[in-house]
Amino acid sequence: MNSKRMLILGLIFLTMTSVHAFALDLSGNVKAQGLRKQDNILVYLTKTPDLTTPPQEAFVLDQNNLTFLPHILVIPKGSTVSFPNNDKVDHNVFSLSRTKKFNFGSYKPGESQTVTFDKPGIVELRCDLHSEMISYILVMKNSFFALTDKKGNFILDVAGLEPGKYFLKTWHEKLKNSKMPIELPAAAGKKLTINLKRGAPGVLYK
Amino acid sequence: MKKAIFFPILVNFILVAAAFQLIMPTPSWSAQKKNTSVIRGVVASQYGMVSDARVRIAGSKDFTLTDINGRYTLETPLFSSRAIKITAGKDGWFNNSVNALPGNQNANIMLFPIPGKDNPNYRFISPAVCARCHNTLAKYWDKSKMAHTTSNVKVLNMFNGTDATGRVLSGPGYKIDNPDKDGNCVSCHAPSAAVTQGGARDIERALWSPKTEWDGISCDYCHKIRKVTKTSDTPSLFKSHLKRQTPLKGNSILVFGPYDDVVNTVMSASYSPGFDKGSFCAACHSQIKKSDNKESWNRKQVYTDAEWQSFDIGDDSVIPVQTTYQEWKTWQDGLPADDTNKGKRCQDCHMSWRKEMLPYDNYVIEGHARDMWGTKRDPQNIRPHHFDGGTQIQLKTALSMEIEGQINDNILDVNVFITNTNGGHWIPTGDPMRNVMLVLSATDSDGKALKKIKGEELPTWTGVGKIEEGNYAGLPGKMFSKVLKDKKGNINVPFWNAAEVAADTRIRPKTTVKLKYQFKIENLNDEPTAEAKLIYRPFMKSLAKVKKWENNDILITETAW
Repeated sequence: MNSKRMLILGLIFLTMTSVHAFALDLSGNVKAQGLRKQDNILVYLTKTPDLTTPPQEAFVLDQNNLTFLPHILVIPKGSTVSFPNNDKVDHNVFSLSRTKKFNFGSYKPGESQTVTFDKPGIVELRCDLHSEMISYILVMKNSFFALTDKKGNFILDVAGLEPGKYFLKTWHEKLKNSKMPIELPAAAGKKLTINLKRGAPGVLYK
Repeated sequence: MKKAIFFPILVNFILVAAAFQLIMPTPSWSAQKKNTSVIRGVVASQYGMVSDARVRIAGSKDFTLTDINGRYTLETPLFSSRAIKITAGKDGWFNNSVNALPGNQNANIMLFPIPGKDNPNYRFISPAVCARCHNTLAKYWDKSKMAHTTSNVKVLNMFNGTDATGRVLSGPGYKIDNPDKDGNCVSCHAPSAAVTQGGARDIERALWSPKTEWDGISCDYCHKIRKVTKTSDTPSLFKSHLKRQTPLKGNSILVFGPYDDVVNTVMSASYSPGFDKGSFCAACHSQIKKSDNKESWNRKQVYTDAEWQSFDIGDDSVIPVQTTYQEWKTWQDGLPADDTNKGKRCQDCHMSWRKEMLPYDNYVIEGHARDMWGTKRDPQNIRPHHFDGGTQIQLKTALSMEIEGQINDNILDVNVFITNTNGGHWIPTGDPMRNVMLVLSATDSDGKALKKIKGEELPTWTGVGKIEEGNYAGLPGKMFSKVLKDKKGNINVPFWNAAEVAADTRIRPKTTVKLKYQFKIENLNDEPTAEAKLIYRPFMKSLAKVKKWENNDILITETAW
């Protein structure tokens, strides 16, 4: 390959990557009224294509010190989650949510169970034995989602999405959902600000 | 006379003790596996060998039962020099122990029977005394609803017909309707005063009487319960049988409990399997009223035959006031053997660990007493005495709600699903004053309410007036409660005036109630929303108003579509 051809190919590559660098992620900050911490707020895109291949990532929802960890676990549909009991007492993880119903029964420290979530929606997890234990598994249609950090910041990877109009939505157990129209790639690279109020959380997908 | 009885008992005791040493195989240690030892011995009493006694190394999870000859075999991790405490306990006997050393040691245990008769002159011990050693447990209890039930203002208001300010003739009152009767509030709200010889029969007097033992359901009262049995003599249809120590049997307290391995001379503990059963709670968490002249009421309009039969409270003349125990038992009895919820008891949820109690402790006793008598045990075998119930945490875990919506032309269909996710009884349970309500609203994008076309509405007794002040009458929603009715047709009457149950819409364990609503959409280009709130109200709005009780609505959960 001569040096002239190398230069042309290099220029083409640089041009392509510089165009798509803007479109790789959406970032911003969520300000939630009345919340001490701004983390665990789900930010996700709708009007996006559904996942066609099963996710490969392994997800874990741990139980320790009478707490489910993490409190919010967001997974693409089709994911399998393991539920190890790393506590000192028995637990009984169950869900009566219509998205996924299951009940492991009491199981001992050191034991683990698994469940595959194949339908999008909200799954509320409880423990029969410890009433304050609660967590949510948010089963998404695809991987275009992110959770905020403690300061409310989020970075949502939108690589692979076609240019076009989408909705940027939020979900949190104590906050009203929000819905913001965005257009890609124009919105990529800009810092978005979302203000949320306390209230009844909505469904993930209407 | 006393000598004549005492002498043969003493002789018998000596003979049994001799047999204990001579006839039985020599208790021994023997290495079985590489890192284990086997301990053998017998459990005996002055009456002979004790079968079915529970024997364990103090604090360990596993135990073994003695055979018909009182023999036991325990496998234990190998140890070299330190003695280990082998304990034995059996229903009806004081727990006892022996320190076993490696080698050919005597690991036999003698058991002594608890007193045959109760002592109604016994003066109950203050929870403050128990707190000297069981400080943490007593602290949880003190914050619980078991403590201070005698001085509970709402109970006294309902008894006297007063309001929160003490004004008389304010709303319903037992004494107003029954001036010549004492009622039976004391049996559960001031139980130690009720059972003490010469104790108060009337809760107002119990509060001020010098004979009142302690305010509430105290440590010493519950731990004096030998067993709980069915009866037809009490409003709960259950009776707690107490066994209180007599001076003749020594000055120890005599404490019943779920542990067969607690052995110390101060408490004189006795293992009682009833402490781990749901029926232990039945003496107070059950209440019926027999209708006047055995008149039947139409219970078939409220309860299915299966529900009524499983309650097992009597014929159609019985009015079920509180059936928490029966609701739990009905649920448990109906579960197949392999159901994951089979075997769950009241204690599993209402005496479980809470996050604020962490880190886990391995003892139920603190301070110097722990060094003397403490038994290290797994946190799983410790039951924190918080008795949580009717709190936001408990309600939030007991009920869950989901919503779905669909727009069909100019109609918004909304379905709400309310599930009793974690209650082992119907929700709400206990006193019929308690209720749970769904409040539903549907609005357009400007916040204007959509007109309801189909679906239930909340009754007037949820409050008429401003919504912001907790008045929900006429709004789309659903009430979950037990409604008592008197002979004149008045509803939500106090239990002593009830002639029937008019409705019982409470949510059964692990069941989902689906509620359907339809709203009319004015603007077809608009995107309407629906919002559902699930609210717990410990007493009716009208009652709270007349009694001047603070509005204690608890928002259990809310969701939107």
